[in-house]
Amino acid sequence: MKKLYCYPGRLPMALLFNLLLSFFVSGQLLALSPPQNVVSGLVTDTHGLPMAGVDIVVESKNIGTITDMDGSFSIQAGPTDVLLFSMVGFKTLSVPVSGRGEMIVQIEEDVTALGEVVVNAGYYKVSEKERTGSIATIKASVIDKQPVANPLAAMQGHMSGVNIVQSTGVPGGGFTVEVRGRNFLSGVSDPLFIVDGVPFGSQSLGALRVSNEILGANVSPLNAINPSDIESIEVLKDADATAIYGSRGANGVVLITTKKGKEGKTKFDAHVSTALGKVSHFLELMNTQQYLEVRREGVINDGYGSFLDNPALDYIWPDIKSWDNSRYTDWQDELIGGTAYRNNAQLSISGGSQNTHFLISGAYQKETTVFPGDSNYKRGTLRSQLDHSSENGKFKVNLSMGYSNEKNKMPGSDFTSKAYSLEPNAPALYDDDGNINWENNTWDNPIASLEENYVARSNTMIANAVVSYSILKDLVFRSSMGFTDYRLDSYRTMPSSARNPSLGYTSQSYSNLITNGSQRQSWIVEPQIQWKKGLGAFSLDMLMGATFQWETSDQEVIRGLGFPSNELIQNLAAARTLEIITDLDSEYRYNAVFGRINLKVLDRYILNLTGRRDGSSRFGPGKQFGNFGALGVAWIFSEENIFGEHSILSYGKLRASYGTTGSDNIGDYQYLDTYSVSGNDYDGVTALEPTGIFNPQFGWEENKKLETALELGFFNDRLLLNTAWYRNRSSNQLVGIPLAATTGFTELTGNFDALVENSGLEVDLRTINIQSSTVSWSTTFNLTIPKNRLVAFDGLESSTFVNQYIVGEPLTIVKLYHAMGVDSETGLYQFEDYNGDGAISSTEDRQWIEDLAPKFYGGLGNTLRLGNFTLDAFFQFKKQRAFNTTRFRATPGFKENGPVALLDRWQNPGDMVSVQRAFSGLAPTGGLDGFQKESNAAVSDASFIRLRNIYLNYNVPSLKDGLDVNVYVQGQNLWTITGYNGPDPEQPSGLRLPPLRQISLGLQVSF
Amino acid sequence: MKIFRKYTDNQMNAMGSGLHLKSVFFNLVLLWLGLLVSACSDFLEVDPPRNTLISETVFRDPATVESALANLYYSMREEQGLVSGITGLTPAMGIYGDGLDYYGFSADYLQMYNHNLMAENDVVLAWWRQAYNVIYSANAIIEGVEKSSDLTTVEINSAKGQALFVRAYFHSLLVLLYGDVPFIADTDYLENNKVSRMPEAEVYSRIIADLEEAIILLEGFEPSSNERVVPDLHAAMALLSRMYLYVENWEMADEMATELIAVFPLDTDLDQVFLKDSPETIWQLKPEEGRNTYEATQLIIPSVPGQTYALTDDLLDSFEVGDLRLDQWVGSVSDADETITLHYANKYRADANETTSVEYSILFRCSEQYLIRAEARVHLENNVGARTDLNSIRNRAGLQDIVANTQSELLEAILQERRVELFTEQGHRWFDLKRTGRVNEVMGAKKDNWRSTDVLLPIPETELDTNPNLLPQNPGY
Repeated sequence: MKKLYCYPGRLPMALLFNLLLSFFVSGQLLALSPPQNVVSGLVTDTHGLPMAGVDIVVESKNIGTITDMDGSFSIQAGPTDVLLFSMVGFKTLSVPVSGRGEMIVQIEEDVTALGEVVVNAGYYKVSEKERTGSIATIKASVIDKQPVANPLAAMQGHMSGVNIVQSTGVPGGGFTVEVRGRNFLSGVSDPLFIVDGVPFGSQSLGALRVSNEILGANVSPLNAINPSDIESIEVLKDADATAIYGSRGANGVVLITTKKGKEGKTKFDAHVSTALGKVSHFLELMNTQQYLEVRREGVINDGYGSFLDNPALDYIWPDIKSWDNSRYTDWQDELIGGTAYRNNAQLSISGGSQNTHFLISGAYQKETTVFPGDSNYKRGTLRSQLDHSSENGKFKVNLSMGYSNEKNKMPGSDFTSKAYSLEPNAPALYDDDGNINWENNTWDNPIASLEENYVARSNTMIANAVVSYSILKDLVFRSSMGFTDYRLDSYRTMPSSARNPSLGYTSQSYSNLITNGSQRQSWIVEPQIQWKKGLGAFSLDMLMGATFQWETSDQEVIRGLGFPSNELIQNLAAARTLEIITDLDSEYRYNAVFGRINLKVLDRYILNLTGRRDGSSRFGPGKQFGNFGALGVAWIFSEENIFGEHSILSYGKLRASYGTTGSDNIGDYQYLDTYSVSGNDYDGVTALEPTGIFNPQFGWEENKKLETALELGFFNDRLLLNTAWYRNRSSNQLVGIPLAATTGFTELTGNFDALVENSGLEVDLRTINIQSSTVSWSTTFNLTIPKNRLVAFDGLESSTFVNQYIVGEPLTIVKLYHAMGVDSETGLYQFEDYNGDGAISSTEDRQWIEDLAPKFYGGLGNTLRLGNFTLDAFFQFKKQRAFNTTRFRATPGFKENGPVALLDRWQNPGDMVSVQRAFSGLAPTGGLDGFQKESNAAVSDASFIRLRNIYLNYNVPSLKDGLDVNVYVQGQNLWTITGYNGPDPEQPSGLRLPPLRQISLGLQVSF
Repeated sequence: MKIFRKYTDNQMNAMGSGLHLKSVFFNLVLLWLGLLVSACSDFLEVDPPRNTLISETVFRDPATVESALANLYYSMREEQGLVSGITGLTPAMGIYGDGLDYYGFSADYLQMYNHNLMAENDVVLAWWRQAYNVIYSANAIIEGVEKSSDLTTVEINSAKGQALFVRAYFHSLLVLLYGDVPFIADTDYLENNKVSRMPEAEVYSRIIADLEEAIILLEGFEPSSNERVVPDLHAAMALLSRMYLYVENWEMADEMATELIAVFPLDTDLDQVFLKDSPETIWQLKPEEGRNTYEATQLIIPSVPGQTYALTDDLLDSFEVGDLRLDQWVGSVSDADETITLHYANKYRADANETTSVEYSILFRCSEQYLIRAEARVHLENNVGARTDLNSIRNRAGLQDIVANTQSELLEAILQERRVELFTEQGHRWFDLKRTGRVNEVMGAKKDNWRSTDVLLPIPETELDTNPNLLPQNPGY
């Protein structure tokens, strides 16, 4: 609106709406501005205390000053000029001089008024103050402080009710996301992702045979979105917010909105940063001497001690007999101890005039790994955003487009589990000539994995156009049209040179290449009509729309075997034989009508009704349609008269919602009775394999969500406290019901009559502790206490889930043996014999229950600004239990290294120790090792408090007008407090690289 | 004020016409929504993916029926199966029995070799799953062709006959390995999900009934290839003769074996018995073009160290002096300093890929029929005939006629002859020990951990969990 002053003459009068009217009037007067006078005065805060350092400018003129220590000022201005008073942390105030020579001005702290904070709810926008639903948001200001590659990483810990776990520290990997817990037995908890209005499939198209060993086949398509292009991420949680997404809203909805250009002069924004990353925690493993001691002991305990002296059997235990017994290598340091570099450069240009805005942003990132070798991940992204409105404001168009190109070149498999298990005296990786050392063919050299390449290239394009036209003042027709195209081309090479030469493989007989070419395309059209009307104390906002969505995906996995030489291994055409492993395509169509009616009375009583009728091609005839809807109500009680102007309670709202959502997250064509081409043949005849049992009976999964919340603001909203309680009940569970093999299949998809409840409490607190011209300090805190429970499950006892779930317990339980320590006489692990049959064997003895879901989690962030310095520290915390190192190593003596704690083993009758006697895997007592891994001893506390992010920024004092320079240093996962016995409590696995600890340095220049 | 009034006038006009427009508009919206809903079902129609056929379609065309049958044979040949493939019966039952020593490190195989087998063993589970998966596929074909109105009787009969044979074959392996097992004869997953185990004797009679029906249906069926790679009438007869032997129906075993012996002559050259065109082969699985058998790649020891399986000394010692099979069907290899020499089965010799496959995995060959008939004849008190059959096998191996005379001597000689003739072939030795009641005596002396309950494999633990009707577990697990 400010800008309107600049060009008043150009605007035809008739086109201005009443809102602009007053400005227009003053604009007219401005044209006749009389001679300049000196205006002087005093600036104070709301308590009457003088304010120093307040910027004062005469609007639309190049005249400015700042207030003195005592808050006084004087400035040249005409009697009709307008003075603008601004200061960081305070609201900008414009005061017309109106012929005065002196004035006293009070400026207010800028605690952003809740009514002005607009939250994106997908199909509509709503102010923070008036929303009836549960919506968590993070803004660019939080995202930009974190040097992460995936938007999901930026959300970790910042949002109540949203639990995100990174599945690997290898670049290009994925995340698991749960919004308010696990709703479905099927385990699919992915929320619906919508990028600038376009649904974006977050499921990986990775092929198991290509990327399983390096990324767990979880290649997250969301890696294509550059976090610094994001303006805000909203997570819709309750029924009121998600029911409008109907059958896809059950697991929550994540809305990603990208940055847009702003009116004003063209702005250039350049940003470069470099990060160094290391594995944050190493396990304490046995050294060579310790290892060989227990190893020999194990062989002797197993009764093979005398065989150790027979040189003919040396090949069985090269670690004891052939390899240098004094050699020691810290394999963690060797294999995952490197430094990963991440370099990032970004340039964006934005600007626009009154009617047209644009933004173009390009970024390039390169990230290396902690592994040996030169593996790296590169990503280039390009994003553009253009919006335009007609002169009369009736017609608007918005175009947003994003393209990204990723190339990920990694070793064929993750070195992490090798780093934990390799014998400490294993031979050198390379011989003196720099060749892979096979040590007379006595071992499988892990470094050979570097000969195997995993290369993935992906191209992602997301485009969306929204056109809208105000047919009438109250009535807007709008349609969005979106398109996504995600293409993943990856391959893995397995040359014969990566295998032990004693196997006699040659490139002709062994070398093979597996390629995965997959693509997912979708388009969506959503025409909508919105009607807004205010009638006295009532105001009504109605929305009606329809969705047509179409998605296809295909995947082709091909294996080429036998190459003339390993040099040609990347060329499928050179392969001796080609085998089509997968040739899949699927089509998904989705159609819906939806609507919203929002009624507001006296700005304090709000009723919000949303609904959707959905049809999905994933279901059989007669089961394709479903209806979903929700009711939300809110009472802004602070608007009631009993709360005066000066009440410490500045804002109070009670809200509640109830409704249903669904989930069709089960894959396509599951209801058909089908035969598929498996790609195999017998005697020249292509084999057709039965792949499905006809099952037209299954329908939507349903999730009924209930929420009530109390939102309070104190001290002029400087302290905001939101407390929400929710209870989501999911029924009609669609699951692959495990079938007995006697049916011919191992599972069948169907609706199961089971009820899963997720309830919980979410607390969000935001405070502004100090706010002044030089110092400000604000705090955010969120806490989620979730509870998951299987409420009912008819016929669980006779069902196939009988050994997996218990009514009344969470879905996240595991049933384990009950470890009862080591028998001091036999030196073997002991377990509770639940069924009393004298043996520990069957599932009946796995009755110990551990819940692996977090008990509570959240985050605490503080932002402190001191002059030009900003310090931001964010802690993430989680209380949980998880599998520890016993899960992968419970007994010493195997031909694999293990934690040093295993040295505390049983050796002689009477020993009271925690670890059973050494065992080399040759005698039958080994079963007990397996039981221990499956027992409660393998689960322990994995709670943690982690300094997820610390950020120190220095805003270089302006060298030149309009030039803004920021230098920052940032740390990710720098410090963790945990009692966890394992690699990393955040991602408790002994197989995958944990998330890294990173330090980065960045420079941001904008002008 | 003038401006303001002008504005409000405009606004009033807009609202006035708006009311009218609005009603028209909402009518249009309603109409539009109505259209959307009715159009929905059409919009939601999707074509099946290009790699998938609806079952009904499969059984309209003899070519796709043949493809469904090809899947059965493919499944038998490839990995994770109990017939051939990496996890096949040959190596696994060799180490579980007294034919092979195990030098590998697979925990599942070590359990089998050391006789501390657990119900969680993955091999035991994979076999069970594969068997019933193939049985399902066979049943689906039987039901599919029976319902089809587009196939000729000849097409229906040949497909159904093959499927019945396959169903019988897998049930025969299941009952031998696990004892009482469910006999699955349809595709009803609701019933089959809670099925109970059927007593062994009943399973055998169902198998025999299937085979008898298959023999009728396959009468006159000529597979397109003459390589004996698709089971025909003779394959069904060979299995039936084996089943009669197992249920001790000596007359019928004798009769079936006699019919087969008339058709499949013994190959006189031991070196050629396991080549793909050996005349004595009744049914074999054809490898992928250019590959040879898993039997060869698994059993042949390329170098020492480097062995996974080796023939036991016990087996080697059981060959009589002068037995040509010891020279021609057994290979040996030593380590660099010649301190260790290991022996391996050298029946299949092509362990590398070649342009054209030279060896196929043989599942039924006629020398077994000679031995079946010999055994049946002993029980039918035709000792002369029994000796003739036994001598046919012995003479080919360069051995003299058998001297055994009494019934028990002859039975002993047949058991011994089966051992040296059929070693490392689909677990024959193990099944022989089991059915002749010798297993405790023989294995007890050879395996430290032997328990009499080892005679049956455990029902896989996860299957007992999934379907408690399969309880109780076999004794000892």
